[in-house]
Amino acid sequence: MAYELAIIFVRGLGLGAIYSLIALSFNVVYMSSGILNFAQGNILVLAGLLAALLSPPEVSVSLWLVLMLVVGCMLTLAVAAQGAMTLAPLRSSTEQHSWLVSTMAVSVIIGASILIVQGPFAVTAPYPFPGVRILGVRTPFAYLAVTALLVLCFVALQLFLRRTRTGVAISALAQDLELARATGLRVRLLQVVSFGISGAILGVTGFVAAPVISIAPDSGISYILSGFIAAVIGGMGNLYGALVGGPIVGVMAMSSAYLFGGEFQNLVLLTLLVAVLMVRPQGLFGRMSTRHV
Amino acid sequence: MSNGSLTGGRGASAPVSQSLKDNGGLGWRTLEEPAQLVLAVAVVVACLGLPALAGNVYWLHIAQLCCLYASAAVFQNLLVSDANQISFGQGAVFGVAAYSFGMASGLNGLPLAAGAGLGICAAVLVGLVLAGPSLRVQGYYLGFVTIAAAMVFPEMLMAFNEYTNGIIGIGVDAGALRRPIVGRIDLLTIVVAVTTSAAFLVHRRVRLSRLGRMMVVSGISPEGAASLGFRPGRMRFAAFVIAAFFTGIAGVIYVPVIEFVSPHSFAFEFSAFLFFAMIVGGQGRLIGPLFGVAVLYIVPNVLLVDLAQYRLIVYGFMALGVMLLFPDGIAGSIIRLLTRSSARSANVAVDFHALGAEVEQQLRTSSGGGNGTRAGTQTDAEAPELVRLHNVVRFYGSVAALDDVSLAIRRGGVHGLVGPNGSGKTTLLNAISGFVRPQGGSITVFGRPTAGRTVADVARLGVGRTFQAPRIYDRLTTAENLQLGFDAPARAPGRWSAAFAEANAGWLHREAASLTHGQRRLIELYRVALSDAELLLLDEPAAGLSPDERVVLGRLVRQLCSEGGKTILIVEHDLNLVWAVADRISVLESGRLIADGTPDDIRGNPHIERLFTGSDDEAEVSDAQR
Repeated sequence: MAYELAIIFVRGLGLGAIYSLIALSFNVVYMSSGILNFAQGNILVLAGLLAALLSPPEVSVSLWLVLMLVVGCMLTLAVAAQGAMTLAPLRSSTEQHSWLVSTMAVSVIIGASILIVQGPFAVTAPYPFPGVRILGVRTPFAYLAVTALLVLCFVALQLFLRRTRTGVAISALAQDLELARATGLRVRLLQVVSFGISGAILGVTGFVAAPVISIAPDSGISYILSGFIAAVIGGMGNLYGALVGGPIVGVMAMSSAYLFGGEFQNLVLLTLLVAVLMVRPQGLFGRMSTRHV
Repeated sequence: MSNGSLTGGRGASAPVSQSLKDNGGLGWRTLEEPAQLVLAVAVVVACLGLPALAGNVYWLHIAQLCCLYASAAVFQNLLVSDANQISFGQGAVFGVAAYSFGMASGLNGLPLAAGAGLGICAAVLVGLVLAGPSLRVQGYYLGFVTIAAAMVFPEMLMAFNEYTNGIIGIGVDAGALRRPIVGRIDLLTIVVAVTTSAAFLVHRRVRLSRLGRMMVVSGISPEGAASLGFRPGRMRFAAFVIAAFFTGIAGVIYVPVIEFVSPHSFAFEFSAFLFFAMIVGGQGRLIGPLFGVAVLYIVPNVLLVDLAQYRLIVYGFMALGVMLLFPDGIAGSIIRLLTRSSARSANVAVDFHALGAEVEQQLRTSSGGGNGTRAGTQTDAEAPELVRLHNVVRFYGSVAALDDVSLAIRRGGVHGLVGPNGSGKTTLLNAISGFVRPQGGSITVFGRPTAGRTVADVARLGVGRTFQAPRIYDRLTTAENLQLGFDAPARAPGRWSAAFAEANAGWLHREAASLTHGQRRLIELYRVALSDAELLLLDEPAAGLSPDERVVLGRLVRQLCSEGGKTILIVEHDLNLVWAVADRISVLESGRLIADGTPDDIRGNPHIERLFTGSDDEAEVSDAQR
């Protein structure tokens, strides 16, 4: 029993770090534009696929690091371009739902492309680091790496949003888009930059976590869902929330898979989502919305 | 009433009724909704009829499927575009209906009719379940809850494979429905045609109905809906249940069309497809779902049938391409194009003169929302209290918005409420309407305590209000925006006099989006007057109005009180206006009531003058501040 508990926690936290990173990436885009990028899940999977395709079987640490930067940069540009494309025809992200379809359509296209290139089955990525024992549980090194990445991304994002001009400007968009526009901020450009940042987070996460994520054409949607639930539990738009929400979702997912079987995992997550929204719609760290009248 | 009362100054010339008439009755030129409806039904009948008559089984099958998808997308449209409830779960609702039918008739041998009935019931049940979270959350939060539900549904079909046949799926024999009954046309084709046509018809009927308007308002502005006495939560339930019922019908008919159900058919992608079809076709447009299904289903699945492996990617690019090129969807862009070329010239002003006379007539004939006799113009010290605040306290953090306020609003007359910014005026209004709960003290409205009553409950007691940002709904026409007053549950359903509707059709049926700010203010005020509320709470009605419009507003407020029998509580920064219209004035400062009396009492109070120095000439003050 203790062993099972250890597995649930170690793997749950590792998985949770991935969900936290997805949630962070959701938040960055959401803050600046009010858009939820539904392609995120498949972008993460795409980064994993690139890791599997680019890495030679016995990849060295230095090559791995270089490839990580390459994939990170590729997806930063790709997601920034996706952002620019999504935003271009939009007059208002609250009135029109076209962005919902255009981001989902990109997700469909990525999934379909993976299907054509790779077939319907999951692929695995080579990794330069051997597994380690934590609390007696053999753990793929990727879980440790992705946890470290989470801490790094979180700190970097905090510093960026508070200390740099661009970061402060993006935070200003989150406060009041109209006001930001009126004061002459280059809103579209900042929004595209935040898409790029989210692409960087997803690209590096997908690369680093490649051995432990499911690299298959249809797994994107479940990463979106878990990442979104992590973001909602913490409070949409709140970085601390994303940091805490991911591990909660990860541990819940692992324990439900252990207790009820894998096919009930999403049911448990759905229940968790509904429960959180019913009791505390603003999430753990979120603020209540402002008055309407 | 004297001539010109209850009327505004703008556009007093009588407009000619034009928009509907010279447009060929149904509005073909700009593809208005009646025209869209006729077109949609014609396309459905043709798509099913031609292959059926020609005996082309393949195309008949495709047409039947597309029609069923389109009718599910119609109710996706109603749910998202009219009721503003983002649901990605409609594919699951459709699938639950189909599967329940399949399990009942295919596995357990129930008669087809009984199985179909069970399927529809199951769909409504799922609709109720999806509606639950909508009471608490909205927008994309609700979207994700429904996404999760749509993902979980096929997983449950697999998990409970002893009841559902799991991945093998269920076959249902519906050969009996495929025998020709009229010429070469079989019963199933007729059922599909009727169902799909009915879907468009029902959507149109809902839009024209009181329920449809209440849904729209509840979706866009729950607080605006509640202030009219509607219950936004119930409207959401209604929207989900209506959508689930009709989606369930489509889901049930799907079974004899395919004669097979499997979990794979109802994966999340199917729910996403229905949503896509609605948006790509043209969100909110009656005919939109037809275009959406045509582009997203027929092109990838039928025209590219030989390139099966590229089906999904083509589908993705079709959706993406349409959204980038036509963010309003196909039907939306077509209609935008048509209206741009034809309607630009017809800039019809609202005839407030006619509207005022009509509202006056309506108020005279209605029984009135108030109980008992209407009072005269003067605030009578003996007149019954409509509102009583008793030591009301409300803090925001450490800031006092209302600090031990006791106040009575008596029947009849205009009661002004003034004070500097942040003095608690709007909070007081919100406390009376029920938007803000007092932390101490009590409020009674029409003799009943507001504690434990919702905003809608308070509104139904006879309290109407306007908002700082006028609640005019661009999705509705000007007529429908006014009609909301008739729709208020506190009054008997009303309707325009035939003469008025006939003479003013030109501007009444315009989309409200083109109204100016001043027109919005007045329309909102007329609406709340029509709702028969006896007590009107006006929150800064003059904000953003021109000096001329303020004069009109002041006259209207006075007339609503003296001729319409309303009691009015007005919060306003324009002291000239307040002094001109109010019979009694209360002054708030930092949440405290510092004066309460007739305008003469207030004017002589030196303590008050200090607060408003220079306010008699606001222009000077603002110039000095610059």
